[in-house]
Amino acid sequence: MEITAKKGIKFIISELKPRGELFTPFNIITIPIIALGLIIVAYRFVNGLGSVTNQSQIFAWGLWKGFNVVTGVAFAAGAYIVTFMVYVLRIKKYHSIVKATVLNGFLSYVFYAGALILDLGRPWNIINPIIGNSFGFNSVLFLVAWHFMLYIIAQFVEFSPTIAEWLERKKAKKFLQSLTLGAVVFGITLSLLHQSGLGALFMMAKSKIHPLWYSEFLPILFLASSVPAGLSMVILEGTISRRVFKDLYPKHSSKHLYEEIVFGLAKGAALSLFIYYFFKAIIFIHGRHWSHITDMWGVWYFIEVFGFVLLPCIMYANGYKNRSIGLIRLASLITIVGIMLNRLNISVISFYWNNPNHYYPSWQEYIVALMVISIQIWVFRWVVTRMPVFKESHH
Amino acid sequence: MLESYVFVNIFETKGLEYMLILIFLVGFIIFLRYFEIHKQ
Repeated sequence: MEITAKKGIKFIISELKPRGELFTPFNIITIPIIALGLIIVAYRFVNGLGSVTNQSQIFAWGLWKGFNVVTGVAFAAGAYIVTFMVYVLRIKKYHSIVKATVLNGFLSYVFYAGALILDLGRPWNIINPIIGNSFGFNSVLFLVAWHFMLYIIAQFVEFSPTIAEWLERKKAKKFLQSLTLGAVVFGITLSLLHQSGLGALFMMAKSKIHPLWYSEFLPILFLASSVPAGLSMVILEGTISRRVFKDLYPKHSSKHLYEEIVFGLAKGAALSLFIYYFFKAIIFIHGRHWSHITDMWGVWYFIEVFGFVLLPCIMYANGYKNRSIGLIRLASLITIVGIMLNRLNISVISFYWNNPNHYYPSWQEYIVALMVISIQIWVFRWVVTRMPVFKESHH
Repeated sequence: MLESYVFVNIFETKGLEYMLILIFLVGFIIFLRYFEIHKQ
């Protein structure tokens, strides 16, 4: 037993050692960002939020929540969509991307929900909803806090057979695989609720958000937009992974099968964008927002809706019909920018739009936001270069 | 009071919303069919 434990520790230590070239373009860009970001985070925890951010009593939520949390969680939605297709609908075609997608979703939640700590004036209170100190049952944040925590656990369970395979624990892998379907169903339930819950957070800010972006249907819009956001992120992440980690894919990995996966995801993204576009249209008419489209905010709103919802929807449909991978990739990029724009419009850009002293993030906030993404990509890279993430596991 | 209510104004009633829903339903069917007849 002792020998096994020793071997295990030795194995983990050997796996922790860096592999590959150090001076790659990605490393050269991200290492300074991470180093500077960590210094800013340390400074923020010593001197408080006001020392590094432009947040105030009026603008209590800044870039870290608007970008990392509210936007990032939408892009992690690919995990619940792909696991639903693979484990519930039993569409085998998508099985080869399920592990990478779940890993991406898991890391997104760990880092983006983790980024919440940076934005709390008293970060030690983050534990309150969990330990029962002022539960706050009436708060949407109570739901979001519990869902984030439970969903991180569910995604870890979904990914755990890959860890067991890496550690060569066959029995453990078999046991963990038996938990997958339960974790997936639990995870989908949680995802549907907290994706919409994030939208519900803004419902109490009716007077603060520009009427073109505020709606009592924000939870539905957030849920509907999470589907194309998640699918687009899966397409983009797959595109980058297949180039950067091409040696890690099995030799027999078929290009044709991969393209069929992308076409399937593109069809899903096009249909979900179509539904989302009509939700936006009906909410616009229901809210009688005609008087709000005469100024620059109206132009900005139409740029978002036509340029970043309707346009990628048409591009996805055309890409699917004409079997154009390039067009689909471009559509995925535009969708990602569009969803990002929409979430930032609600949480930052149109928030207190009529306040003369509007909030603009400080350079430190940008660096820390980029640091969070950079660290996530570093961890993703570490995991995929060690564990059999891109290999098909046999059940 | 009733005399001043214009029943045919689609902006005053929910006519526009109903029309949009109908456009969506028809549009969604057309959109789905668009995918079915893709090039081989």
